[in-house]
Amino acid sequence: MTAGIRELTISEAMKEALADEMRRDDNVLMLGISIRAGTFPHTKGLYDEFGARRVLDTPLSETGCFGAAFGAAQEGLRPVLDFMYAGFSYYAGSEVFLQAGQYHFLHGSQHPVPMTMIGTCGAGRRVGNEHATLPYGALIHHPGIKVCMPSTPYDAKGLLKAAIRDNNPVFFLWHTTMMTVKGPVPEDDYVVPLGVADVKREGSDVTVLASGLQVHRALEAAETLKDEISVEVVDARSFEPFDLPCLLKSVEKTTRLVTVDEDFERAGFAAEVSALMMEHGYDLLDAPVKRVCHPPIPVPGGYMDAYTMPTTERIVAGIRDVCR
Amino acid sequence: MLLTKQQKITLYTNLVRACTLDRMMMRIIRTGRMVGFYHEGGIALAPGIAAGAFLRKDDIMFPHYRAHGIAHMLAKGIDLKHYVAEHMGRVDGCCKGRSSFHVSFPKDHVFGWSGNIGSNFPPCVGYGLAARYKGTDQVVMNCSGDGSYQEGRAHEAMLMSANWKLPVIFWCENNGIAQHSPLTDLFPVSDISRLAQGYGIPSKIVDGQDLLAAGEAALEAIAHVKAGKGPIFIELKTLRVQEHNVGGLNNEGATPRDPKLMQEWRETRDPVKIAAAALLKQKVLKQADLDRIQADADKEADEMDAWCEQSPKATPPVSELLAGVYAA
Repeated sequence: MTAGIRELTISEAMKEALADEMRRDDNVLMLGISIRAGTFPHTKGLYDEFGARRVLDTPLSETGCFGAAFGAAQEGLRPVLDFMYAGFSYYAGSEVFLQAGQYHFLHGSQHPVPMTMIGTCGAGRRVGNEHATLPYGALIHHPGIKVCMPSTPYDAKGLLKAAIRDNNPVFFLWHTTMMTVKGPVPEDDYVVPLGVADVKREGSDVTVLASGLQVHRALEAAETLKDEISVEVVDARSFEPFDLPCLLKSVEKTTRLVTVDEDFERAGFAAEVSALMMEHGYDLLDAPVKRVCHPPIPVPGGYMDAYTMPTTERIVAGIRDVCR
Repeated sequence: MLLTKQQKITLYTNLVRACTLDRMMMRIIRTGRMVGFYHEGGIALAPGIAAGAFLRKDDIMFPHYRAHGIAHMLAKGIDLKHYVAEHMGRVDGCCKGRSSFHVSFPKDHVFGWSGNIGSNFPPCVGYGLAARYKGTDQVVMNCSGDGSYQEGRAHEAMLMSANWKLPVIFWCENNGIAQHSPLTDLFPVSDISRLAQGYGIPSKIVDGQDLLAAGEAALEAIAHVKAGKGPIFIELKTLRVQEHNVGGLNNEGATPRDPKLMQEWRETRDPVKIAAAALLKQKVLKQADLDRIQADADKEADEMDAWCEQSPKATPPVSELLAGVYAA
């Protein structure tokens, strides 16, 4: 990263990635629900530059919209489909889970499907399950679809560019509560490759693996504990492909692992990481892997999601638990 | 739109070929050589032949699953031996033997399908959108049956295609029965094309047993969408005289269908017989031509079966399969 660069919000970083990719490749177009007016700030103004041919407001027809992107990708375009909330993609469940990623393999690995899906997700907005649900556990359960989620504006720009340039379906998730989070973003054309994790804070006693908003809570937890426990924070950035070597390298040093996952605990990404550690890193561990997740209850509304989702306090407790 | 003599001959020849391949598929499944299931075409293949007859290589088609799209793709000019081999789980299958029944001819703009009824609709919106985006005059032949219009996807696709004036032909092959339930139990109206009116899509009803009428309807539909008038809906009334899939029930609701009626349809409503009579009467073909066309079709089916049979069964190691999940 270049020093002394401007700061952008995650939304602005995403918009820059979208605009850059649309400028460099005429095959990139964007579809979504009310993206022209800009329900969320990441698409605001794109219509003004690229017009109705390349920025299309769709009806509230998620399955049809999915097909519009999927079919256009089969015909050689590189569509970006914005579901608004990632939970809305479940309307097109069969298409997302059974077709998007599985088409290529089942049809003889002969024909790529370069499409990007965007959806915001995450608890903490007090609006309940459909608007909060984090689909990455369900997504990575189904082969063939790549999934990523940034924690910083820098990563948002780089991951989104990587997603658009990938020849496979990629679901780019971003956290609903982080749209206006600022950070340095170079003007250069760069990508953050899918499948490359990032050590966001170095430490020596315990590794905390997190993503999205939870990276920041893990960093807060590390700061809280800095005088007693040295915490290394690894940002997964991609759930599939997942950078297992980076995690193993970290745990080799720290010998302990806490996995923070805002998705449901049962059969989720954190559980997958625990299993991977058992299979590939058992000898590195001095303590059992600890999960800090959303408990297996629907994401509630009201005042409750503030504490059913992983909090800094719960991460601190989880870290203490494995460092006893 | 009137058909030329050559177009009529091609339509008829392809219908005979498709019906012969349909019987070949039945032989293959009944001799235990097919790995998945098969949905026999029977006397319902004229719409598929018409659908594919006038498409260019770069026109996009989503074939109907009846007879697994054999008629549709044969008429579009696709070499089907790789598709038959796919049904037999062979290495020469169009999906390398991984799918049991999926089509995959991306160079011919037939991209593949899924086991879900109605899965044709969403991608057909995308095919039409891509044609408009690229400024080509490609058409999208979106073929499916009456059952598929019970899926919400159908309505989303009609809405989006109409709203964006996409070159999508909704080619509905209505055989009046979905799985084991008659349409009268499932639909409030008998003509599915009436749905199109709500989306401002023009529609037409055609006798799907009349190959030449279906062919004329296909030509008209292609001309309509190529003129930039947006989608069109063609409903082809056809018939199913056999079970939904091989080994299933031949019921209509809870009541088995009358075998006498099925036999009557086979005798009086067979599109090959109807087309042959018309072409003899119009002196387009002679009886000797009909005999030769059937003999050639039989030879083609036998050779295809033998070609597929010599292809080894596909049983690659899992490591190879893992490497095939993502595109480079």
